[in-house]
Amino acid sequence: MKYTVSVGPHAVEVEIGQHWVKLDGQEVPARLETVGVGPLRYLTMEGSTTPMVVEQGGEHEGWTVQVAGRAWPVEVLDERAMQLREMARRSDGAPGGGGLVKAPMPGLVLRWEVEEGQSVGRGTGLVVLEAMKMENEIRAVGVGVVRRILVAAGTAVEKGTPLVEIGPSS
Amino acid sequence: MQRVLVANRGEIALRVIRACHDEGLEAIAVFSDADRHSPHVGAADDAVRIGPAPAAESYLNIQRVLAAARASGADAVHPGYGFLAESAEFAEAVEAAGVTFVGPSADAIRSMGEKTEARRRMQQSDVPVVPGTIDPVADVREAARVAADIGYPILLKAVAGGGGKGMRKVESEDDLDSSFQRATSEALKAFGNGDVYVERCLHRPRHVEIQVLADQVGHTIHLGERECSIQRRYQKLIEEAPAPALDDDTRARMGEAAVRAAESVDYTGVGTVEFLLLPDGQFYFLEMNTRIQVEHPVTELVYRVDLVREQLRIAAGQPLGEATMAAERDGHAIECRITSEDPFNAFLPDTGVIRYLQVPAGPGVRWDSGIAVGSEIGLHYDPLLAKLIVWGETRAVALARMRRALDELTIVGVATSQPFHRLVMADEAFVQGSYDIEYVERRGEALLETPAEPDQIRRIVVAAALAEHQRQAALRRRPPNHGDAAHQTAWLQAARRDGLR
Repeated sequence: MKYTVSVGPHAVEVEIGQHWVKLDGQEVPARLETVGVGPLRYLTMEGSTTPMVVEQGGEHEGWTVQVAGRAWPVEVLDERAMQLREMARRSDGAPGGGGLVKAPMPGLVLRWEVEEGQSVGRGTGLVVLEAMKMENEIRAVGVGVVRRILVAAGTAVEKGTPLVEIGPSS
Repeated sequence: MQRVLVANRGEIALRVIRACHDEGLEAIAVFSDADRHSPHVGAADDAVRIGPAPAAESYLNIQRVLAAARASGADAVHPGYGFLAESAEFAEAVEAAGVTFVGPSADAIRSMGEKTEARRRMQQSDVPVVPGTIDPVADVREAARVAADIGYPILLKAVAGGGGKGMRKVESEDDLDSSFQRATSEALKAFGNGDVYVERCLHRPRHVEIQVLADQVGHTIHLGERECSIQRRYQKLIEEAPAPALDDDTRARMGEAAVRAAESVDYTGVGTVEFLLLPDGQFYFLEMNTRIQVEHPVTELVYRVDLVREQLRIAAGQPLGEATMAAERDGHAIECRITSEDPFNAFLPDTGVIRYLQVPAGPGVRWDSGIAVGSEIGLHYDPLLAKLIVWGETRAVALARMRRALDELTIVGVATSQPFHRLVMADEAFVQGSYDIEYVERRGEALLETPAEPDQIRRIVVAAALAEHQRQAALRRRPPNHGDAAHQTAWLQAARRDGLR
């Protein structure tokens, strides 16, 4: 069985056999074992064992692998899923989204530092978010115009809540 | 003194409860609704609910904490750090209720808590202070005048401040307006006092602090220094003792200045005098923390003392013991603060439930924490989850031990500062001991962009591929679903759940 595995900028093809995996054209013995009742797994590969936390889901689809305290979002697609992905990519031309600035953490929208229609540059303070009694200024990452402010000052927001829409400067 | 009310939560509450038990005292915990099942509640002999989750209605509410002390029959109150620890009003109220406050007098807290008053006193006691205003500035225009006089960059600091709240660095006049506004609004909210004063921002100093102890019969001593320059937005992340950059002469002068500072306010209990140290050995008084410090364990490990037990003994009127007075430093200690802040998301606080926890152990390793499996990490309180402290015969041994201990630590359920600490412990500048308070600002981002080792990426890739492969195999093994509820026995369901794991 073949899978395409993506971690950050890396995309690697992995073939899985009975007791081995093949990557970079090399077959190596590898096994992943569940440890106790928790999310911990032991990966044994190339003569050493690494404790890892391997879980499905999280804030993205796919897997999360946590090792040495850092959680890595990992996408694993089998061949069929890869084909579907390719077809979807071909039929969908324009890049979606646009400049939605989302709350990078849960907190309280303390005050807005911009108004709708205002031009902003890279680093312009947009909004002040309070969390754990600290005020955090969310800044613009590029040049644009404030299209719509989506959350009023005084509102508590969850992580990922869209705060403001930034459009291209005309 | 027999029953001590511990007016705090999290790791420090547990730390104080342990010290009480080691001293043969009973410990009473307090808890808000968010902390009903916290480890400190279970560790205490009894526990009293003091209100809903928001700190203002629980841990910061003097009347409710006092009521808990009365209800539980406590004859002493230990405030920990943060919350009411440096509230002179609280210390006064505790003493007025006929209960011992484990800490200095309300007068000493007040003199040091008001930063401008403290600066005035230090000048009188021949303790050097950072150039700037002694009195708070009236408005942003006065701040601009002073700043033009002493030169940018400057620091705006809350008169009632601490912990970086209500404090802003201002690089140039362009930023003064917005920084002034933010500093005063933060100060007003955090301390109920919006006054700020201006200080010159020294060029890349180190933050070095001296631990002092003073009993009620006239002994004031110091137990050396802690180096706390690894900070982010004035919040300390890593501390160590001894300070790598301190020579014996400067250490002695700093220690004497710290003792003078404590004596100038008739200090009793344990306290910390913070200094900024320049490369030429000049140092300046920053502030005195009139309480136990978060990073107190590094001093405990190198001097083999128990500072919280010392607090309890001093509060009970005992003189400092001979062993404490003669304590000598041995070896090296480092502390990493494990917080629920995600270094890969601009250190913003993360929330969640601790689903799995594996704690480092073994020789020379200490874990002071307030979390357990099942702990809910929310946004009501400080993000400090735990402190990982190591000791070694030399700094090199301590460094190796910290790397080992960080590798042993597994926390699942909330992003933490753990991976950042691991990167710092491997960074050449830190390993050499050549760093100052701008270290995180200048070096932090590059550290966080350190590419993962190719072997680690390979292992992550293989682990995820194998996990997905196992999941798909388990799905294929599932028998076709007839949609008949009679077939859904508990055994079958359990087997399917197992297969899906």
